[in-house]
Order: sequence, then C-alpha cells, then structure tokens
Amino acid sequence: MDVDGEDVSRRLHVKFVTKLDSPFKVPVNSVAIPSNVTRLGLSSIVNSIIQSDNPEWKTEPFDFLIDGELIRMSLEEFLLAKGISAERTLEIEYIRAVTPRKEEEPSLHNDWVSAVNGSSPRFILTGCYDGLGRVWSSAGSCSHILEGHSGAISSVAVVNSKDAETVTVATASKDRTLRLFKFDADESVDSSTRVTAYKILRGHKASVQSVSAQKSGDMVCSSSWDCTINLWNTNQSTSEGESVPVKKRKGNNQADESQSEGEAVTTLVGHTQCVSSVVWPEHDVIYSASWDHSVRRWDVETGKDSLNLFCGKALNTVDVGGEGSALIAAGGSDPILRVWDPRKPGTSAPIFQFSSHSSWISACKWHRSSWYHLLSASYDGKIMLWDLRTAWPLSIIETHNDKVLSADWWKGENVISGGADSNLRISSGIAIS
Amino acid sequence: MTKKSKGGKEDKTAIETTSKSVSGKSQKQKKPVEKEVEKELIEESGTDSDYDGDSLSGSLNSDDFDSDIFESEDDVTQGGTEEDGGDGESSQDELLDNEGSIDNEDGEDGSEQIDSDNNEEEDGSDEGSDRDEAVEESDSSEDEVAPRNTVGDVPLVWYKDEKHIGYDITGKKITKKERRDKLDSFLAAMDDSKNWRKINDDYNDEEVELTKEECKMVGRLLKGEAPHADFNQYADYVDWFKWPDAIHPLSSAPEPKRRFIPSIWEAKKVVKLVRAYRKGLIKFVKPEEEPQEGPVPYLLWEDASTSDQKNKHLTYIPPPKLKLPGHEESYNPSLEYIPTEEEKASYELMFEEDRPKLIPTRFTSLRSIPAYENALKESFERCLDLYLCPRIRKKRINIDPESLKPKLPSRKDLRPYPNSCYLEYKGHTGAVTSISTDSSGQWIASGSTDGSVRIWEVETGRCLKVWQFDEPIKFVAWNPLSSLPVLAIAMGRDLFFLNTELGNDEEQEVIKEMFHSENIPEPEASVAAIVTWLPDELYGGIKIRHFKNISSIDWHRKGDYLSTVMASGETRGVVLHQLSKKKTQRLPFKIRGLPVCTLFHPSLSYIFVATRKDVRVYNLLKTGLATKKLETGMREISSMAIHPGGDNLIVGSKEGKMCWFDMDLSSKPYKTLKNHPKDITNVAVHRSYPLFASCSEDSTAYVFHGKVYNDLNQNPLIVPLEILRGHSIKGGVLDCKFHPRQPWLFTAGADSIIKLYCH
Repeated sequence: MDVDGEDVSRRLHVKFVTKLDSPFKVPVNSVAIPSNVTRLGLSSIVNSIIQSDNPEWKTEPFDFLIDGELIRMSLEEFLLAKGISAERTLEIEYIRAVTPRKEEEPSLHNDWVSAVNGSSPRFILTGCYDGLGRVWSSAGSCSHILEGHSGAISSVAVVNSKDAETVTVATASKDRTLRLFKFDADESVDSSTRVTAYKILRGHKASVQSVSAQKSGDMVCSSSWDCTINLWNTNQSTSEGESVPVKKRKGNNQADESQSEGEAVTTLVGHTQCVSSVVWPEHDVIYSASWDHSVRRWDVETGKDSLNLFCGKALNTVDVGGEGSALIAAGGSDPILRVWDPRKPGTSAPIFQFSSHSSWISACKWHRSSWYHLLSASYDGKIMLWDLRTAWPLSIIETHNDKVLSADWWKGENVISGGADSNLRISSGIAIS
Repeated sequence: MTKKSKGGKEDKTAIETTSKSVSGKSQKQKKPVEKEVEKELIEESGTDSDYDGDSLSGSLNSDDFDSDIFESEDDVTQGGTEEDGGDGESSQDELLDNEGSIDNEDGEDGSEQIDSDNNEEEDGSDEGSDRDEAVEESDSSEDEVAPRNTVGDVPLVWYKDEKHIGYDITGKKITKKERRDKLDSFLAAMDDSKNWRKINDDYNDEEVELTKEECKMVGRLLKGEAPHADFNQYADYVDWFKWPDAIHPLSSAPEPKRRFIPSIWEAKKVVKLVRAYRKGLIKFVKPEEEPQEGPVPYLLWEDASTSDQKNKHLTYIPPPKLKLPGHEESYNPSLEYIPTEEEKASYELMFEEDRPKLIPTRFTSLRSIPAYENALKESFERCLDLYLCPRIRKKRINIDPESLKPKLPSRKDLRPYPNSCYLEYKGHTGAVTSISTDSSGQWIASGSTDGSVRIWEVETGRCLKVWQFDEPIKFVAWNPLSSLPVLAIAMGRDLFFLNTELGNDEEQEVIKEMFHSENIPEPEASVAAIVTWLPDELYGGIKIRHFKNISSIDWHRKGDYLSTVMASGETRGVVLHQLSKKKTQRLPFKIRGLPVCTLFHPSLSYIFVATRKDVRVYNLLKTGLATKKLETGMREISSMAIHPGGDNLIVGSKEGKMCWFDMDLSSKPYKTLKNHPKDITNVAVHRSYPLFASCSEDSTAYVFHGKVYNDLNQNPLIVPLEILRGHSIKGGVLDCKFHPRQPWLFTAGADSIIKLYCH
C-alpha cells in the first residue's frame, strides 16, 4: 500500500450483497475499502465493479443497508454510532436508490390542483379548484373531464377500477356534495371526454374535505367541515327509489345520462372539529384525522371509534400502511410527519417523527407494496420520500414552485403531485423493490 | 452531762448496748482487723444512749435550753459528737481526735460501764488488746510530739538572716547548724545508704530520717490511699440492728414535742435574714472587680471584624489589611530576592504606578539602614487621603437578581400558543387594515387600503372571493352566527353588508330575502339625520350611509345587532343597526367624549364604550349613566378586547401600553403591560384557549397567556409567551385575530400580507 494509507483512514473489509437481479449483481468477494466513504463513494465502488464485468453499464445510484439500516453518513461514523465491530468482514446490502430518475411533462390545469389519486394503474385522477375532475391516462393527455361541481374539488377517490370497461370514481367538493362518476378508462381519445355524475351525494352541511372508497367499491366515506364522517352507497339505483332521473345534454358527449341523488347511510359523529382526512383501508375500518388534533379509528359496523390518538396539532392528512398495513402516518399544521403504531400497547407516542419539511404537511401516502416507504407533500413546495429505516429523506422532489396540495404514488414507481402552481407533476422511475 | 439523768435511763441502755455488743462480737470473730472501728461504734452507741438521756435532761434543765434545742434538732441522728462539743471542746480537735476525746473525757465512765457490761460475756484478753490499740493510735498522733522550735507557724524567711532559727521550749535560741559544702553533703549522701529516707526539716533545722513505716505511709498517701495500711476505707457495712425483729423503737421515750412544732427561733433567724436582705445589708452578688488602671491591653493581630471597634463607632470601616512582610522586605534578604541591574533598569522604564513599591536591598547590619526617604511624603499623602477622600461605606446590595424576577410558569407548560408562521395569505395590493375570522374557522375575511375585501380559505391560503370597492376598507367583521355568513364592511362613511355565499342553500335563501332591496323600511325620524339605509347595486348587499366616517364596528353575539362608532359626541357617536328589521337606533344614553370603539359583552346586555382615556360600561336595557367607569390611565385608547368570560377586558393604547382589567377586582387596571415601542393597533383574546395578543405598528405581535380562574380569590395569570415577528418594518401590523378553534393567530400587515402563526 501507499505510504500515507495509514493516516488517510482505516480500511474495512466489506462484502456487497443484493437481492437485485442479474445486471445489478456483483461477485460476492470481500473488498477492502477506506472507512470514510459515504453513500456516494460506496455507490461508485459498486458501479465500477459492475462496469468491470459489463462495459455497457450506465451508472446507477445505489443505497446501502447494514443490518437493516440505511447508511446516511460516512461508513466509519455509522459503525461507530451503531456500535458495529469493524474487525470482521461487513456485509453491506445494496438496493437501488429510491429517487426519481425522470421528470414527466407537467399537466397544466386551470386552477390549483387540490387532489390527485393514483390508485388505479390505468389513469391518474385529479381534482381542481375550478370544480372539474380530470382523468389523465398519461402525462399531458387528459382523457376525461368530470364536471358538475359548483365549488372547488377537495378530494378524489377511485371507487371501482376492477371492471374492464367502466371505472367508478368519487369526487368531494367544497360545495358540500360528493359526486360519483362512471367512465370507460380504456377509451382511446384524441380530445377529452366530458362526463357528468351519475349520482350526487348530498348530506354534508359544510365543505367536504376528503373522500375514500371501500376496497370492494360498494361504499364511500367522506369527511367534512361539519365534523362528521358520512358513509354512502355507490350503486346506481337506490333502494328507496328516490332517485331523480334527469335528462341532460352535455357538451360534445351527446349521451343522455340519468342522475340520481343519494343520502348518507351512516354518519360517524365524534370529532369536534373539521375532519380533514379519511381513509378506508379495510372492509370495516375507517381512519380519520381531524383539526381537533386527533386520529380516530372507526368501526363501520358499530359506528364507534375504537382508537383515539391525540397528536397536539391540527391534522390535514392521514394514511395507513407499512408493516402489516397497521402503521398510521399523519401530518398537519406543523412540519413534522408522524407515524404511530397502534398495536404498541400503552402508548400513544409516535414511533417515528420525520421533520425535514419547513411548512404544513398537506399529504402523506404509504407505498402500496413496500413496508418502509412513504411520501409526504408540504406547503413548502417539496415532496419527500421517506424510508422508515432512516430519519433522513431518501429523496426530495422540488418540481413544484408553490404549495403542494396533494401527492400520491402511481403504478408503484411514480410520484404524482398537484399543487398551487396548477400543475400535475409526475416523477417517474423510482425503484422500490 | 449529769450522772443523775443517766442513771435514770441506765438499765435500759445497758440492755440495748448488750445486744449490740453481742452482734459486734460475732463480727469481730470473723474480722479481727476491724476491732477499732467496732470499738468506736460501741462507744458511739454508748454516747447515743447518753445523748438520749441528755435530751431528756435538757428538757429538765432549762438553763442550757437555748443552745441545745437547735443542735439537737439538726443532729438527732449524727450522734453525740456535737453534744460533746457543748462541753467546751474546740471543734478543731473534734475532727482530729474524735475517738480520743471520747476516750479521754466523756467516754471514761461510758466505756467503762459498757466494758463492764461486756465483760460479762467477753474474756479479758480481748479487752486488753483493744486498749493497746487505742493507746498506740494516740501515740502516733502528731500532737504528742512537741516541736523543738517554738516560733510557731511563721515564714522561715524571717529568720533567713539570723543565726538562729527560733527558740526552744525554754526560750533559748536554736542556732542554725553549720552548712556543709555541697561536695561534702554529696559525698555523705553517697556514703549513706539510708540517704533517700532523709528529709531536711527546715523548721527545726535538723535532718529527719523517716522510718520504713513512715515511708510506706508517704507512699500510700502519694497513691491516694489511706495513710494507715490496716485501715480499710471500703470496709463492709455492718448492720448492727436486726431490722426484721425490731418491732419496737430503740427508745420507748415518746417523741419530744419540739419535733412537731415549728421552731420559733428558726423563724426569728429567718426574719432577721430577710430584713437584712431587704435593707441591703447582705448582698447577693459579688461586687464587680474594679477596672484595671492604665492602658488596656488588646490583641495587636486580632481580626478587625471580631474586634469591638465596630461597636464603638456607628459606621466603622475596618482598614484594609496589609500584607505581612516577606523575605524581600528584610534588611538583609537572600540573594535571590535582590533584583539584578537589568531588572532595576526595567523598573525605571515602567510607569510609576506599576513600579514595585520596594526594591529589596542588602545592608550588612541593621544599623546601616538609612532613614526611609519617603516617610514624610507618604505621611503627608496619607493625611491628604484621609482629608480629601474619606472612605465611605459601600452599601452593597446582596440580592440574587434571579430572585427579583416574578415567578412565572415555564412557557413550555403553557403550550399550545402561536409561535411560528407557516402560511401566508398573499393577494392584497395595499396594507391590510382589518381581518375577521368566520365562526367555524374555515375562512377569514380581510379588508385592505386597496379597496378590496377578500375571503381566504384558512387551510390552504387560497383566496376564494374578492370584492372591489372604491374606498380603502376600514373594517371588516364576520357575522358571529355560523348560519348567517354575512360580512360587515366599513369604509369611509359607508357600512356594507355582503353576502359571502358560503352558507348552504337554505341560508342563502334567508340572506337573499334579507338583502332584497325592497324590504328596506322608511327610517325613523330620530336617526334620519345620522344614517340612511340603501341597497347596494354592485354586489347585491345593503349599504348604510352615515353622516360621519366610521371608525369601528362590532357585531352583537346574536348576530342581529351591529354597533358603529363615529367620531361624534353625545348620543350620535354610537348607533346600533338591526339587520333583521333594517332599523337603526341611537344608544339610550349620552356618551361623554368622543367614542373610539365599542364592544358588546359576550353574554350580558352590556356595552363597553371606549373614549380616548377611559372605558365606560353601559347597560343596554337601562337608560342613564354608565354602570362602571374603567380608568385606564392611558393617553389614547386604540382598541379593546374582552375575555369570553366577560369579566376581564383588555385595552390597548396608542402609546404601546396594554391594560388588563379585572372588572370584579377594581376599576383600575389589574396589570398594565408596556410592551410595544409604538402604537398598539389591536388586541385580541382567544375564544377558548387562555391566550391574548396585541399587535403594533412596530410590526410585531405579542402573544400572552392570560388565564382567568373560576376561583374569585385567584387573580388572573398573565405570562408573556412569544413575540411574533415577520412582517416588514414599514407600517407594522394593523390587525390581529385568533382562530376561533385553534391556538393560531392571524396578523394583518401593512405589507399587504396576512400571516398565520401556528402552535
């Protein structure tokens, strides 16, 4: 070795392992590396190893795990902080770095984009302050426009996308109503089709803030400024027979559609202030977050809240996911994203607190397949991707130049977001194994 | 002692003593060493019997009654020694030869008699040995040996220079012995093996050789033992009486009467003593020692703080302590203390103050030290110092500054309160003069000098609605009823009611009906000169034109009445508008001075009217004078806010002061807070959280914790929490309002931005 090798740093013997497939694999040999390398250094080492085997290799960022924890400092510091011995050969697992590799064209709206939904892999659903919902098959191509609301749309949800032809979606609006739309998602279009609601859900006394659909698609729930959560049926013909068929002519779509009105099946009362967000992850469990500083879990059958987490801050958003789909992530009127584990007995303290944002958190979503990843959007214009295994954000998406009002995952590897700059942005190529 | 009396009692005592001697004999056989003691005791018992008889005889012989009575009373149990004293023996002798005296004088017949009694049972040899012992003892007594010298107990120094040392019994001089020289005496001492036993008796001027016994006696005395070896000072106690059998007293004579009556003589003596004490003939305390003459010695090196100098002077200042002299101040210090030439030269270069006061120098002897050259100069300077710069006592206040601070709870414990700004509401182009929150907290309305009124969504900062007017907006106020989303806007001389169109359909219907232009009735004559109700063509609302510029408006809690304030005196300054009937009425009372702003009581039918210097509380249901006058002590009131409980009022003034009135407590401010360097533009109280705030032209807003207790004995707790900065310096903060449900504060700045401070 060279003369100054001793005082530069110590050397560590490491072994790179991965669960990735063949092009990313490196030979399982022990390598000696300086102990002061950071993630970037490790990434370039792995890249150069792969490149030596495969000359056409394009450099790819990697992230590194030691004992299930992501390395976010120099290797030496990490080992010191975790108390891991540097004597033996370290096994470092590498994964593809979770960061967007491509930025799609922004899809411009007429007004602030208040809601996005990417639960269906076939399209992106957005809601806008101009009262129109939009369906985007890809970046920049709007296939359907959902019209009818007289106020700004605050939330959108995909009710049923399993059917081959028609897709049902729900929109919630500040005009105190929800509307249900049906359209054909696979319809190939040059210009966007206008769709009117087949059912209008009235019953809230104030702005509806959030809507979420049951997995089966039979029911939706909505939360509102009137402190209640309402549950609605989504089927077209109401059993009470009070549907009011109306004949309407709509734009270029000459089809006649019947419009019915629905009433709330159940009202969940308990929150004392605006219920800002609801999610319906399981068949009979609803989670809600409210400005009264609480997150509640409701049992749909009994209509009672079975869990009440007190947070201390007004909450804007809640999502359930992670390990066993049991962790609750919520954000609100402060820059901290909190994650609770309700299965932990005897405590209501959050198990994780991510505080890299600088303003209110407007949206947080768990990745649908990964246990570790979630995203958060904030009024500071940033979307951050988080991994539970580290306290630092994996990646910060700063494509919006105003508040981000809503964000979601799409097709597992894209992050879609809408904000006060009236754009829908899609960041793609996020590798989450 | 009279024989006759003794004879009277003789046979009885004889019996008694016989029994005693019997027991004594049995003891004696066990321990022959104790003979003497036993004999003593026998004799004593003899005298005891004698005494008894004597006391009886005393009562017969009245001539020695006086002297006897006291002694007998005192010493009934002590035995006959005292009685013997009565025969003329000196007390001094008594101590020395107790037994002897008994033997010699009184005991003569008594002992004889007893012995004769004893003889009946004892054998003679025993008796004889007793006798010998007694004689021997009296021989060893020092009284027996007459001293050679008869000068008596005089100091021998008197005869120091004489040739004789005294006189012998015949009166001849006893000449001193010739002095042997030391060597001779030493040699003699060395030769004589008994030398160690020899003592020089200075008194008789002779050498005495101690016998072995005497040496032993000295040795015992040195050890602290009794001088005689055969005397056991810890002898076993001999109980001469057989207590369990003695059912009869020793003497069958009845107790004399004098033992039961209090003594007259004693009483007389006590009276004498008491009189003497009273007259001061006898003093209890010793007279104090006379103070020593001459200078009183004192400790030279005593610590000044302990000396009584302090007590002598009223403000004694101890002189500064001098450093004790060290080696360098010696006239002949060691070489290492003496500075070298270079050092001395360097001293010359120093400032005079920094120069060392004394440069050590060497002198061969103390004599060669010259006089101190600065002596005169220094003493002069010292006098000058004392004269010109008298030392003064510095009164140092030793108080921990922390303890002077009022005890306030920690800010952390008073959370939540607004502290950081996350949201801004941008859109106005002029200074935002007024803001108002919707009762649900979903929207806020703001008015600006650019003539626009805007409604914002609190959650996102989105501007929902804009109304544009020609005049700068002075005041906006949201109707407190959630079912009546109507906005009151004051600008110039006009007051507008605007429909925000935020309510649901039924509410919209009600508002539309209310605002219908044809529903406006004819104004009453009393107010026709002041206001006119007009329909507003531009936005479909109602316009009320006043005769003067409106300075402030305030909704009643029920949402039907609205008070407007104009800068006008008497009954025309404040008018009440009723929205439902579209009527205007004056206040039923006169207001002194120009009103600045008004405020409705949050639960009762009172109205607070602030004029420039004070606040008056009027009952709306009664005409007449103010029910209460609150004296603020401020120069110009700018704003008011009331605690939701209704008993506490906050008044902000244009000199930057804020007053908290506890109206149950007094009409004077409970607390006056001087916090802002510039005018306070507005004050606000939170509806549910214990928070209040003030905003000022210095572009800051202060947030306070203001807790009001239900307990009337407990005063409100006021704690400053946070200074909210962020607005640009120019123009300051013009309005602040709390979010109705969250601990958040909205501030409206002259920089056309509204900020939301969250917890």
